[in-house]
Amino acid sequence: MTNLDGVFRREWGPAVAALARWSGDLTVAEDAVQEAFAEALRAWPRDGVPDKPGGWVVSVARNRALDRLRRESVRPGKELAAVVDDIRARTDHVDVHPVRDDELRMMFTCAHPALDPMSQLALTLRLISGLTVAEISRALLQSQSAVGQRITRAKNKVRHANIPLRVPPAELLPERTPHVLACIYSVFTEGYWSTAGPSAVRDELCDEGVRLAGELCSLMPRDRDAQALAALVLLHDSRRQTRVDADGALLPLEEQDRSRWDRGRITKGLDRLARAAGATGPYLPQAVIAALHATAPSWQDTDWGTICAAYDRLIEITDSPVARANRAMAIGFRDGYPAGLAALDAVADDPRLAGSNTVISIRADLLRRAGRTEDALKWYRIALERNGSDAARTFIHRRLAECGGAD
Amino acid sequence: MEQKVPLATEGNPLMHYLALLLGEPTAPLSPEEQTAGMAAYQAFHAKAGSAIKAGDALTPSATGVRITGGPDAPAVTDGPFAESAEVACGYYVFEAENLDEALALARDVPAAQHGAIEVRPIYHSFDPEWSSADGQWLALLLESPASAHTPGTPEWQAEAARHGEFAAAAGEHIGGGAALHEPTSATTVRVRDGKVLLTDGPYPESAEVATGFYLLSAADRDEAVKLASMIPATTVELRQLMGVSGL
Repeated sequence: MTNLDGVFRREWGPAVAALARWSGDLTVAEDAVQEAFAEALRAWPRDGVPDKPGGWVVSVARNRALDRLRRESVRPGKELAAVVDDIRARTDHVDVHPVRDDELRMMFTCAHPALDPMSQLALTLRLISGLTVAEISRALLQSQSAVGQRITRAKNKVRHANIPLRVPPAELLPERTPHVLACIYSVFTEGYWSTAGPSAVRDELCDEGVRLAGELCSLMPRDRDAQALAALVLLHDSRRQTRVDADGALLPLEEQDRSRWDRGRITKGLDRLARAAGATGPYLPQAVIAALHATAPSWQDTDWGTICAAYDRLIEITDSPVARANRAMAIGFRDGYPAGLAALDAVADDPRLAGSNTVISIRADLLRRAGRTEDALKWYRIALERNGSDAARTFIHRRLAECGGAD
Repeated sequence: MEQKVPLATEGNPLMHYLALLLGEPTAPLSPEEQTAGMAAYQAFHAKAGSAIKAGDALTPSATGVRITGGPDAPAVTDGPFAESAEVACGYYVFEAENLDEALALARDVPAAQHGAIEVRPIYHSFDPEWSSADGQWLALLLESPASAHTPGTPEWQAEAARHGEFAAAAGEHIGGGAALHEPTSATTVRVRDGKVLLTDGPYPESAEVATGFYLLSAADRDEAVKLASMIPATTVELRQLMGVSGL
């Protein structure tokens, strides 16, 4: 049955997108495709997988949707009743094939800015990626009922507020595309940076983030920011297997076995990066930083000067205090640790970082490298007092031990 | 191979949206500021044109009335109302093909620059064409988010029947109105430094959410209060309209 899993994963998103175009409704589309897959599970092992499984799924789903609409239309008070005659009249004679534009339409609809970012993410994972509510709840560390309600609420908002199922017109694209990029990036980062949840789920999100970014590039080939995003996720993802040690503890980039980085991912990422030249969004400078790490022969021989310049550009675009803090780290490697600490002082009081461990961790690290062990210990202990993730706390305990300050 | 069956966008009837203008109470404006404010609204009305089906500015909430307890035991409180941090200062009914169009209108409302515009899809309008919206009073129907029923559910239908009784009793005093979709279908629009900021859901500072509204005609304030007291809602906020010309 594993080959069927592959077919399902490939055909789910396009089929839901095609049915959404046909019916104009996300819930109708999702339910119909779900029923078609249930039917496939019965029919295909018996009759064999059809030549065009996507066409089979869509055509069965369309019939299921019509059956359901007919049933609902005879029950009074049902909301869907109003559209049934309309859909029947228009589409009984029309054959629906999945088309590439359907998927792009779905990406823009799921990432519509009138939906909050967490709902955009959940909707994308459900309707485009085909993850179940249970899988999404494990990935996002939320209860199944919370995820289920969130998705239902988002689909209802799309229907009731009439969020259009479309690729926005040209004049809206510059403000809407960044939401699609951000949503795809969060699919990836939920898998990549999260240290909780089963690793299989995290791997799936990483793979899906890389896949969606690549899809977006082929659907919007002239969008340089999409290329930059695809480069960024590929280059990060090249290090997925080396980010943790055998015990599952986080391993900083500096200590990773570079020979185990995924060369295929790096090559593809660099190729995307070349096509991203001229991108104006936040992904290009981040991809440049990731590329410099990916191609450096060693931590010591990393091009910190160019990394600092990329952080400068990122700060210009985003005014992000986290980027400023990371830039201070890079300055420490370029100009010496005291210079890095001075740069960090300039961002330490940013109110947007209140409650964040970023500055504290970087300060502790720079102090440790500068040989100011006592000061480093003090800041590692402060970092520990704040509630970080288990993985982060494990890592700080390790540093405390290295500095001779283990409790 | 591409088929042309975009059911969602083709031939659908136009939607209507209530746009509530919300903002912090502000100090009285200087005459220059008032003139500039009026000019900004006139420019918006000229640009939006026939997409605006109804709309007006509200007189200050201090002059408004809140009625709680429903028709059986109405309790009337005169403004100002300490408990409501937000102050509605105006409303529009927009006609639009979809939410994108409604949001494009909302971002152009001058109040979006300092306050917020809550955009709510309308479920059912008193007059579907909005051809003769009329009245001197806006009655805003408010519920706590927990007590707001979802349109189409049996609970909502039961309440709609009571609204039918109110409409029969109020007769020609009702110049327009609508039931709104559930609050979770709201989008709040702000414009700051030229950037449009969207929030999913109703104006977050509000403890209560609007579930519908009526436009009422009344000979005087007492009659308006009497009419509003008959509306089946947990809370009715009754606000006099300014009667801004050109709308």
